[in-house]
Parts: sequence; C-alpha cells; structure tokens
Amino acid sequence: MLQAYFESIRYVGHLLPISFLRIFLGYYYLDLATKHWRFFQLGNGGLSDLFVEALNKSQLPPWYRVLLSEQVIPHWQIYAFLFIGLQFAVGISYIIGYVVRPVAILAVFLSLNFLALGSVESEVFFKLLIACHVLLAWVGAGRCLGIDYYFFKRRRGVWW
Amino acid sequence: MKHFIVFIIAIFSGLTFFYFNKQEKSKLNEDQTIKVFASSSFIAKWGPGPELKLAFDRLSNFKVEFVESPDLGMTLQKINFEKENSQADAVLGLDQFDIARTASKIKWRNLQFDFKASVSSDFISQNESILNQDQFVPYDWAPMSFVLRKDLSTEVASLDDLLKPEFKGKLALQDPRTSSPGLQFLAWVFESKSEADAIAFLKKMNSQAHSFSSGWSAAYGLFKNKQADLVFSYVTSPLYHEIEEKDSSFTAIEMKEPLQAQVEFAGIPASCRNCEGAEKFLEFLLSKEAQKIIMNKNYMMPVLDQVKESTLFDALKKYRTNPVKFYDQEIVTKWINLWTEIRKNEN
Repeated sequence: MLQAYFESIRYVGHLLPISFLRIFLGYYYLDLATKHWRFFQLGNGGLSDLFVEALNKSQLPPWYRVLLSEQVIPHWQIYAFLFIGLQFAVGISYIIGYVVRPVAILAVFLSLNFLALGSVESEVFFKLLIACHVLLAWVGAGRCLGIDYYFFKRRRGVWW
Repeated sequence: MKHFIVFIIAIFSGLTFFYFNKQEKSKLNEDQTIKVFASSSFIAKWGPGPELKLAFDRLSNFKVEFVESPDLGMTLQKINFEKENSQADAVLGLDQFDIARTASKIKWRNLQFDFKASVSSDFISQNESILNQDQFVPYDWAPMSFVLRKDLSTEVASLDDLLKPEFKGKLALQDPRTSSPGLQFLAWVFESKSEADAIAFLKKMNSQAHSFSSGWSAAYGLFKNKQADLVFSYVTSPLYHEIEEKDSSFTAIEMKEPLQAQVEFAGIPASCRNCEGAEKFLEFLLSKEAQKIIMNKNYMMPVLDQVKESTLFDALKKYRTNPVKFYDQEIVTKWINLWTEIRKNEN
C-alpha cells in the first residue's frame, strides 16, 4: 500500500497539484473539527452558537428556521456531534486520500449546510469550498498521494 | 461503498468512545460543579471571575466553572430554545434590557436572598422598584455619562451641548442593536426628551458621532486613541485610569438631564442542574468579599453598603440618575427601529 502511495506520483502525477489542495482542505477540516470538539465538550460556543446565530439571519428559508428552532437547537448536542463527526471524516479522508470521492460529496452537503447557517460575509467562502469539493470528487483526488490509488489499481470503479 | 461505510462508522465509533470516556471522568465532579455563564471580560484573567472562583471554591464544597458567553443575547436565546437541556446553572451580566427581553421567554428560579437591608443607600434610593422582584439579584451598577479629558476646552452640561459644531465627528457612541451601553444612550435620549425632540436630536447626532461601534470596548478604544473627544461610558471609567494608569486627567460629566444607570444582574434559569450550588454562588456574589472583588476588577459600584468605604469609589461624585426600571420589550423595539430608520436615511 505504501509503495502504491508513492508510485501514484509517477503514474498520475498530473493530479499532484490537486492533491496538495486536498491535503490542505483536509488539514482545514481537521482543525475545524478539533476546535468544535473542544467547544462541544465545554457545552457552549462553537456549533451551538452558530445554530442560534443562524436564527437571526433574515435570508434563512422558513422551513430551515423551523427545523433549527424546533429540532436542532433543543437537541443541539446530537446535531453538533454529527457535524463534528463528519468534519473529522472529511479531514482524515482528505489527508490520507481514502474514499475521497464519496466523502467529497458528503462535504458538499456539509458546506451547503454551513452556507445556510453562516453569516452573509462567509457565503463566498463556502461557495468556493463547494467548488473545491466538486473538483476533488470529479478528478478522484485520492488517486495521487492517497490510499485510493492502491484500491483503484486493483478494483477500478467510480468509488476511487 | 463498503469502504466508505466502514470508514464513517470507524470515525463515529472513535468519537463516541472519546465522548463517553470523557463523560465518565467528568461525571465524578458534576454534582459539585456550577456552570456559570458570564461575559468574556468578566472571566478574563484581569476580570473579577478568577478571583471570585478562588474565593468561592475556598468557602464552599461546590466548584464554579465559568462558561464564556461572548454574546449574552445569543446565550439567552439558546437557553430559551434548549429549555430543560440547557447546561446553564446561573447567568451573570444581565441588564435591565436583557431582563425585559427574556422575562416572557425563559423561566427563572425565584430567589429568596435577604440582602435588601444591607443595600447601599445611593443605590436603593432610586432603584427600589428593581429590588421588589425575586428572580434576579443585582450585583453591581454604575451611572452612564460621557467621559472626556479634563483639558477639553468646550463645556458640556446637557445633551444639547453634544450638538455643538466643535464635536462634529468627535463622539464615540455604540450601536444600540448590539451594545448595552448603546441601548442605554438611546433610552437616556428618549427618557429626557419628548419623542419628536428625541428623533430630531438623534438625527443631528448622526453627524456628531465618529462612529457607532458594535461594543463598548471598540468605542472606548477610539476615545483612548484620541480619535474621539467624548465617549459614552460608565462614570466609574475615569477611576480605572486613576487606579491602573495613575492618570487623573479623565472625568465623567454631570449633565442637566439625570443619567441612566446600568445595573448588572445574575439569575438562575429554572432548568438549572445544580440549583443549590447556583443559589449559593449568587448568595456569595452579595457578600462583602465578592462585592469588593467585583468593584475592584469590574470598575463598577457595589450594591452593598460599606464595601466602597475608604476607597476611590467612595470619593466619586454622586450623580443624579433616572430610576432604573425594566423596560417593556415593545418600547425598546420601537426605539431601536426608530434609530435604525434614522441611520438608514442618513446613509
């Protein structure tokens, strides 16, 4: 597996720049997840504040507002745990280059959610992030400097 | 697909393991821990929080754990939504407006503290009405006015003096939508003038203001950097410069109009987990020891008698103030909407 990891540079070297983008995004998500986890254990701040803050956003779709106030905020621990878990999954997957394609699709949904929750100023950032995830899924960014290359060589298919 | 599912399951299993492992350890102390939500400045190392925690932990079997609440409005909104799932045992830093805003939404525990007999005379004389409720306990207060450097050549004795051409773009004010002092200023204008006069005054104030900062500290920073000549602040602010910086060139002005006073309250949500501990902590806030810590670190007046004796706070001028009251939410919303409209038209 380790041999395949480095071998990938020779055979799919054209994906190397994208791999750096993937690893950087992985680091970003891991850092974010760690920060949110700390707040989660404190029982305040982080994602819980983001949920409440989103209620004050005037452009929030009415159905999403109801969902937030009736379901998410009263049980924010469950939803925050899910979000943090997914952020860890995206972070680890992008760094080691494992199951990048399906995880990138998951990351698109995660970013869409943050696009709805976050402030107006952060909209452009999340849109860019979505574009990056789509790009990573499209090219199969785990095939270069990633474990996905090992499985791709043996099994082929759309998952790698 | 199988790899993907196994990967996600592995991540969540790991996280669940860490979570329960941590919970197990913290469970041992949970019964003794009181979670107190307070502002960042209150729990910062230069604020009263750390010293209060040390003193309280020494006196009781409970342990205080401060939870930082950068935006009190948001914290209250969260307590309201979380209901019995809320983690807050006590909330500090509520002012008259916060209480009006949340009274109908959050259920608060009734408190039976016997401290009224020892409340300081200058606090009780104007504020008896706010002591006749038993859900919130006041723990500090201060009148609010404009603070300036003593060498300022232009005289300011009333609100209308702020409209003098010399002050064009020289007043550091706060945004009433995001800042409690900003809301106090707005309330002061509406309390001191008729509605029509207040609106006309606020329109003129737009050109006098350097800016409407989102919080008190940003506005005070402008004043400190000499970008503004006057700042709306607490009358105790000059004492900070005198004590910490040995600089007595600042003063808070007495105005023709009685000043607004900001009172900070503490309350216990009905959903508290460690209610007994929270009550003990609030009772401790009303002790002379705690009042002294709050006065010295927060630079606010104590609510108890004899605490400020033979300190610089005792020598502070007695300012005339409007009686402190809990405003109706509709009135506050109306004032803010009027102010927003004025600002919008100005821009």
